[in-house]
Amino acid sequence: MSREGYQIPTAQSSAPGASSTQVSRADDNMGTTMTYMCGDCGFKFPLKRQDNIRCIECGCRVLYKERTKRMVQFEAR
Amino acid sequence: MAPTATSTEWDHEFHTLRREKLFREPPTDRSAYPLLQIAVNPHIESFDALFEPDGLIARGLADIDTRTFLDGDEKASPVGRNRVSIRYKNVQLQKAQLPPANKFAIKNRDILPAECRERHVTYRGKLSATFEYRINDDDPKEFTREIGQLPIMVKSKYCHIRNSSPAQLVAQKEESEELGGYFIVNGIEKIIRLLLVNRRNFPLAIYRPSFQNRGPTYTPHGIIMRSVRPDETSQTNVLHYLSDGNVTFRFSWRKNEYLVPVMMVLKALVETNDREIFEGLVGSPNSKGIQNTFLTDRVELLLRTYKTYGLYTMAQTRAYLGEKFRPVLGVSDTLSNFEVGTEFLRKIVLVHLGNVNVTEEQDSDKFRMILLMIRKLYALVAGDCAVDNPDAVQNQEILLGGFLYGMIIKERLDELLSTGLRLSLREYLQKFPGRSFTSQEFGKDFPIRIFQKTNENIGNGLEYFMSTGNLSSPSGLDLQQVSGFTVVAEKLNFLRFISHFRMVHRGSFFAQLKTTTVRKLLPESWGFLCPVHTPDGSPCGLLNHLAHKCKIMTKSVDASAIPQLAAELGVVSTSSAATDESVVVMLNGKILGWCSPAESRRLADTFRYWKVEGSHGVPLHLEIGYVPASKGGSYPGIYMSSEPARMVRPTKYLPLEKEDFIGPLEQPYMSIACTEPEITSGESTHVEFDPTNILSILANMTPFSDFNQSPRNMYQCQMGKQTMGTPGASLRYRTDNKMYRIQTGQTPIVRSPLHNAYGFDNFPNGFNAVVAVISYTGYDMDDAMIINKSAHERGFGHGTIYKVKKITLKEENRTKSTKNVTKLFGFAPTSLVKAWSRKTLDDDGLPIIGTMIQEGDTLCAWHTVSADYSGNLVNRDGQTHYEKYKDSEVGFVEEVRVIGSELGSEPAQTISIKLRIPRSPVIGDKFSSRHGQKGVMSQKWPAIDMPFSESGIQPDIIINPHAFPSRMTIGMFVESLAGKAGAMHGLAQDSTPFRFDEENTAGDYFGHQLKMAGYNYHGNEPMYSGITGEELAADIYVGVVYYQRLRHMVNDKYQVRTTGPVVATTGQPIKGRKRGGGIRVGEMERDALLAHGTAFLLQDRLMNCSDYSRSWICRKCGSFLSIQPTASPFVGKKKTVNTVRCRNCATRLDHMEDVDVTKITGEIWEDGQGNQWVGGEDTTLVAVPGALKYLDVELAAMGIKLKYRVNPKDAPRKGHLLQTTWDALRSGVKTNGTQPALVAA
Repeated sequence: MSREGYQIPTAQSSAPGASSTQVSRADDNMGTTMTYMCGDCGFKFPLKRQDNIRCIECGCRVLYKERTKRMVQFEAR
Repeated sequence: MAPTATSTEWDHEFHTLRREKLFREPPTDRSAYPLLQIAVNPHIESFDALFEPDGLIARGLADIDTRTFLDGDEKASPVGRNRVSIRYKNVQLQKAQLPPANKFAIKNRDILPAECRERHVTYRGKLSATFEYRINDDDPKEFTREIGQLPIMVKSKYCHIRNSSPAQLVAQKEESEELGGYFIVNGIEKIIRLLLVNRRNFPLAIYRPSFQNRGPTYTPHGIIMRSVRPDETSQTNVLHYLSDGNVTFRFSWRKNEYLVPVMMVLKALVETNDREIFEGLVGSPNSKGIQNTFLTDRVELLLRTYKTYGLYTMAQTRAYLGEKFRPVLGVSDTLSNFEVGTEFLRKIVLVHLGNVNVTEEQDSDKFRMILLMIRKLYALVAGDCAVDNPDAVQNQEILLGGFLYGMIIKERLDELLSTGLRLSLREYLQKFPGRSFTSQEFGKDFPIRIFQKTNENIGNGLEYFMSTGNLSSPSGLDLQQVSGFTVVAEKLNFLRFISHFRMVHRGSFFAQLKTTTVRKLLPESWGFLCPVHTPDGSPCGLLNHLAHKCKIMTKSVDASAIPQLAAELGVVSTSSAATDESVVVMLNGKILGWCSPAESRRLADTFRYWKVEGSHGVPLHLEIGYVPASKGGSYPGIYMSSEPARMVRPTKYLPLEKEDFIGPLEQPYMSIACTEPEITSGESTHVEFDPTNILSILANMTPFSDFNQSPRNMYQCQMGKQTMGTPGASLRYRTDNKMYRIQTGQTPIVRSPLHNAYGFDNFPNGFNAVVAVISYTGYDMDDAMIINKSAHERGFGHGTIYKVKKITLKEENRTKSTKNVTKLFGFAPTSLVKAWSRKTLDDDGLPIIGTMIQEGDTLCAWHTVSADYSGNLVNRDGQTHYEKYKDSEVGFVEEVRVIGSELGSEPAQTISIKLRIPRSPVIGDKFSSRHGQKGVMSQKWPAIDMPFSESGIQPDIIINPHAFPSRMTIGMFVESLAGKAGAMHGLAQDSTPFRFDEENTAGDYFGHQLKMAGYNYHGNEPMYSGITGEELAADIYVGVVYYQRLRHMVNDKYQVRTTGPVVATTGQPIKGRKRGGGIRVGEMERDALLAHGTAFLLQDRLMNCSDYSRSWICRKCGSFLSIQPTASPFVGKKKTVNTVRCRNCATRLDHMEDVDVTKITGEIWEDGQGNQWVGGEDTTLVAVPGALKYLDVELAAMGIKLKYRVNPKDAPRKGHLLQTTWDALRSGVKTNGTQPALVAA
């Protein structure tokens, strides 16, 4: 992806990376949805905070968090 | 045309394309590296043997037999009471499956090993037992109960990945060459160590001085027989020789020892008479044995002394034994004394000869075996036969992990019936006194309610055993240790991992032994235990490794034809005590008969021929331990064995030019040529297939190890296992706490064919480096090495550590984990989310993958929740808690795993975070070649300043020539030559040891290759200084050597401290690098500092940086303990210097008679209670070690008072400063002998 093509992902409430704002508010009771990947079938699906941990396709009990779409940058020395 | 099967033939070449293909398309038929699986198989096969139809557990159940319980009054006689008898019908194990409560997984309900690793749980399957019981003489009824979840060995018959091809294994998230052989307990891979134990069913002649401690007249002579039941549990029987010529039979039962006159056992076994026993021991009246007066005297005495018991018939003796051993054996009250005596013989005496449904013939086998043991004992005492060495492999066998596992299961099952059920029944009968066994309620309650009360979770007990390695057993399982049975199969690198399975331990009991005899390398070990591969230090010689061709039998081979054949070859049942007349022929500890020594040799040779030929029903793996008759040597005979747990190894049988398997008992009496040229005609019967067969897998990986001094090869075996290598290819699915990985792994240029056969190219362990042997900068002194900075920058030796942090919100509860969810991951819904926490955390409160984590960064966020009226989980306090990253090293979040429960009905409660920590080589990191030449990297030298050769080659590594003369690692020189030639010609060099000799030297072979490549024949090259550009005066030895990076890195080692955490009691620094503790300045360090006269340093280390503390002390009574601060009624809690008083020296005002306040000298002070005191003013502040005060307090608690003499010279003196000259001071000392300052004062 070119640098121009990079988009700041529009997360639900507060845009991440907006570090200028000192404080952001966590979301309503249900929590934000994030997508996770099934450890067995590789199916990607959203999950809320209180949801039971299992793949909705195959019932697998291990889920992987996806790699962030945010820009990850650090000094490589 | 069918696709050809994956080839399993390997030579030493690189096979780059073939390996590439194996990687890209893992074979779907079989592994290309069968040797790896064979190396691990003993573990798997021993586990498989457990739950087969006629498996070890089934046989164990037969030994447990039926248990009978009575109802009614316990003290009443058994007559008229109802009885319930119960026995195990069978025990079944299931594969790992999801519990039926989980309704969400539809397609696949199997739990694979990889899931257990990822979820940090145990790989286990449901264990259930079917019981059969009958009340009085009713029809038997059956019921089945689940008795817990049993940890299952990976790749055993009860494992899902048992028959997976490499391609399937990859799909199942395993290594393509997954070997199994271990258990997964809480996500950690554990294996049961192989243990060396005494050879089974073989009478060992022992001389052990500690035998004398058994009692008066006991001598050090004894015969030990470790008798093994069909279910692989063992019972050791010992015969002791008493100084008066008597013999006692000793055994241990439930950790207690019992002694029985051997005559009593003999008379109990069969209906016999004194003449039969006499002739059985000495021989028939016309035999030579009768002339042995030493023997006849003692046998006579044996028979005479037994008369005092007045027991003559078998029935009498058994009843007598039964009466004595009834409480010990814990048998049912319904049995008569005679039956208990029979049970005693069944369970304890020579159990290998008859353990269940003992027939009369089996009893007579036992009888004859005991006679042989007595005969051997008398021969030992007379000096006719030598003692057997219990530390030699000859007299040892291996206790396999699966068998030990089975032993524990059997014992737990036994306990469940005998102890558990008895207690539960008693409790039930106490609760419902009216109910008898025949009542209806009992019939209903028995299978359910009563069993629920027992501790029937056998799986849990086994899981505890696997995770701790501790054996909690009432009988001790005839083993000498209770802990250390399991070890973690560390996947630091593949060499270490595979070594775990080939590891054989002598037992932790021997580790405490002061003598070194058990540790000695004995010639008997040849070909069975590797002479090279043992650690140095405390486990040296106790922790051995199997030679790579050594195989462990896990099944009995069919030897049913042997007794008949032996009889046909002239074995008779009559014998004599004279071993030059008749020697014993035994099979599996059963006496087949006797023959003359000459016949015995012919017999052994014939059997051997048939065995290798495969004819006459003599199995190839039968061990024919032919011990020839000798004068004062080992007790002669033919000891054949077809049973499991033996070590065997392949050799070539010369008469047939075929493979023969030989065991450790027969080997010392055979002539096996090491190489073809060493065969002596008429003497050698066998020849080794390859001299390298004696080495372990790891020792075989050392190139040209025959050129090295032997300890160096040992060091390499150690360092190979500490190398930062490649643990495997399925790193993505592994969750080991710590994993090391090298980024730049290469295949060695110099390797043996076994490197390929074992597939070590799948797990590279190091890198080929250009090594120059030169003293160049001075930074290569004392085993330091210099690394080319440019090589370093290109990634030379770069490594990574993966750490896994498991974060769980569940309260770890020992008993039952709480069902309720009290915490959830994520930010509390109503809380303010601080920006600093969002630096590393995502919306879900879990770390962002790929982000950099430093010390103090947040790893995850969580908050408390509780259920509201509708069952929703609500956060009420609005507080977000954070878990922090505490390590001081920078890491990167590699993976975040959200782990659900087995039932799939729980929100996120556990996560496991894998962090990647880059470890590029830094100064102080350790490297080593494959020849025990380790060194510390001391400098990264700029490439421009490195020396260079005429072809422009710069070394990657510079090592000092002084590393060689004393260590004599010529193999490293040869590797350097071979590596260089191989690199130039693009060849893989075969480095198998024992391939070169004096005529065809390695130096010549590789020298010529170098010459062909245009290099110096000797491997030296002219080199130029990188700094001046001048040619160096000497030619430099440069070559290519395979280097390993060891896991010891300075970053994990450095430890500094001035102040920090201290132990609360003493005030001294705590131990441990992790906690910021100090390194002890011990006695020897203190001595060194003292010797140097560095008083200030000593003061600093021992006092100021340790437990320096200031304390008040009373000068007068010299105590720390009696001082107390005064309390002023006016000032409050203000503390000033002069307000500490000695309570002991002070007098309390209200205790003084006729107090006149005006006449009191000194200040009146008040303690905390408002009491007024006077005096005790002579206190002062001193600096003392905190430990001293602690000691004082401890001693005071014991009623010991410490009194410190405080020198009056440094008492505070009031008044102006005294001016004195130096001379005045000197004269003052002379005149008074006291301190001048005082004199002046």
